[in-house]
Amino acid sequence: MEWLQNPLIMAGVAIGIALGGILTTCAYLILLERKLSAWMQDRLGPNRVGPMGLLQPLADGAKLMLKEDVIPGHVNKFLFVLGPAISVFTTMLAFAVVPFGPVSHEKGQFPFVIAPGVDLGIVFIFAVTSLAVYSIILGGWASNNKYSALGSLRASAQVVSYEIPLGMSVVGLALLHSSMSLEKILINQAEMGFLGWNIWYQPVACLIFFTAALAESNRLPFDLTECEQELVGGFHTEYSAMKWAMFFLGEYTHVITISFLTSVLFFGGWHFPFIAEAASAYPGAWVVKVGVLLFKVSCMIVLIQMLRWTIPRFRFDQLMSLAWKGLIPMATVNVLIVMCVLEFNLPRLWLLPLSLLLFVGVGLIGTQASLPASGAVRRKKPVGPIVAAAHH
Amino acid sequence: MNSLLEQIHLLAPLALGIIAVWMLLPREGARPWILASLCGLSAVLWLTKNFLPPAEDWVQTGMFYAFAAGAVLSGVMMITESNPVYAALWFAMVTLSVCGLFLINAAPFLAAATVVVYAGAIVVTFLFVIMLAQQGGATGYDRKAFQPTLASIAGFMLLACLLFTLQEWGGKAVVVEGEEPKTPRPQFVLPPAHMVTNPLSHPMPRSDRPDQNDLGTLQGVGRSLFGDYLFAVELAGTVLLIATIGAIALSPRRSQGTL
Repeated sequence: MEWLQNPLIMAGVAIGIALGGILTTCAYLILLERKLSAWMQDRLGPNRVGPMGLLQPLADGAKLMLKEDVIPGHVNKFLFVLGPAISVFTTMLAFAVVPFGPVSHEKGQFPFVIAPGVDLGIVFIFAVTSLAVYSIILGGWASNNKYSALGSLRASAQVVSYEIPLGMSVVGLALLHSSMSLEKILINQAEMGFLGWNIWYQPVACLIFFTAALAESNRLPFDLTECEQELVGGFHTEYSAMKWAMFFLGEYTHVITISFLTSVLFFGGWHFPFIAEAASAYPGAWVVKVGVLLFKVSCMIVLIQMLRWTIPRFRFDQLMSLAWKGLIPMATVNVLIVMCVLEFNLPRLWLLPLSLLLFVGVGLIGTQASLPASGAVRRKKPVGPIVAAAHH
Repeated sequence: MNSLLEQIHLLAPLALGIIAVWMLLPREGARPWILASLCGLSAVLWLTKNFLPPAEDWVQTGMFYAFAAGAVLSGVMMITESNPVYAALWFAMVTLSVCGLFLINAAPFLAAATVVVYAGAIVVTFLFVIMLAQQGGATGYDRKAFQPTLASIAGFMLLACLLFTLQEWGGKAVVVEGEEPKTPRPQFVLPPAHMVTNPLSHPMPRSDRPDQNDLGTLQGVGRSLFGDYLFAVELAGTVLLIATIGAIALSPRRSQGTL
């Protein structure tokens, strides 16, 4: 087994497993989403292809592959093709530093992460996913279509805004664990046991992270970029067949990455009391650990999909004020709380009541600020300039 | 005049560069693409004679050439492109190439931060503005460069200053007291002595560091920013805060009827 020592072999195997897993999961996530929505709306959902509709993803895939791939004559061809490619590339690349099992740095062992030992960890993910907005902007602009352009304009404003709370929500974690590396944060939580999960210390950060990450992935309730009622299809109005599917491949990969990140950062990763502790080394422990992590990830994915069919879409000004007036101040105060607790050497469990207090405070301020009285003043704004602009 | 002649290895390629960029800047009619690219290529090749990094293994060298060529080419394409959307995209390419250079120089945090801030936010905002402003197609000031001669001369003056300083950093042997340089060319690694004694920036001597291996890690960056360069960082933070307040003060109010 000398050849197993070569670092390229195990990296290659990890890439193969991660990619294969993600692509298969994406296909079945679509089926799950349709089944879930059918269940929530008291319908049957897809049930024709295979037993209980289980072969539906294969049929969908074959349809998307074989469909005529239309490139309209009025588009900018190069950027039109580049858009979906960037979408898949960036979301897949972000998965490189996400651990999907008990990470091992020993030579010849399966590493359970594509790029082990990346010190940047979460910063790398933010950097790569911040490039994903190019796919939407380029796709929308190159389509040479008003609906697409409007969709991509909305996307750029939304993604740039939500990157700030996303980044600030993990600053508290970095301070607590004195590291940004996902592997280190995971192993720290596992060694501290069930009460070491970050959700006990940073519940508000978890909420901010989850919300902002959901907004970054452009899914409902944040899918103003494709908003069917207003924009036909938004940035992907002109796309068809596999190129259209690649946008959605990117979106579902993003959902998987979010679920992994939330589980690893806030819910202890593969750690679970009694069955998957940091010290447990019984035969087959790694299977249990991977199973625990995948279970947590599936719970997050189901939660995200249920949210889609539960919460209606935001209005654009609500979307912006949620980020700028709600999440960003909340994340800032959260970082401040963590800094105070660390500076004065208070017990870490103080973070839980303080975070809950912060949440209640923000909720109170948020509801008081949007009382009808303040809204009425805003509505008095003269509409003159808008009417005048319509005549030009 | 003599001191100028001493720097001929800098000035001549820069002059070639001026000519190349001047020929490529957008104007009415055809642009001499081939002549300009020949000029630019010879200028770059001339400069590489003095500014080549020390040769390491072929992977590093190859990556350096790929990223450096990408950065220079994208930079030229950015300023000579007449379509502003493409220019913004080339700017994103410049940023990504430079981030690649940061990565191979063991500065991953700098690379990631630059991608987040520049490629992820600033260029996106540029595109946003351009798409909103460009609905009527290309305008006259897109098709023609404004004062191409002055602009190229001013740009290359800046480049000349940068290269002159860089040459002082890398070209001359740097002597750190009490330590013999290990490699014959300690290029682009240690700042010269008069920089080290600058009261505003006090990098700690290497031997005082608690652990030697934090070069390029997040801990190293944090310790350097909030230990060695605390004064400069706080100053920059204050300037940014003032700029933010200024931007808020300048922006029109809702009550004034705009927006």
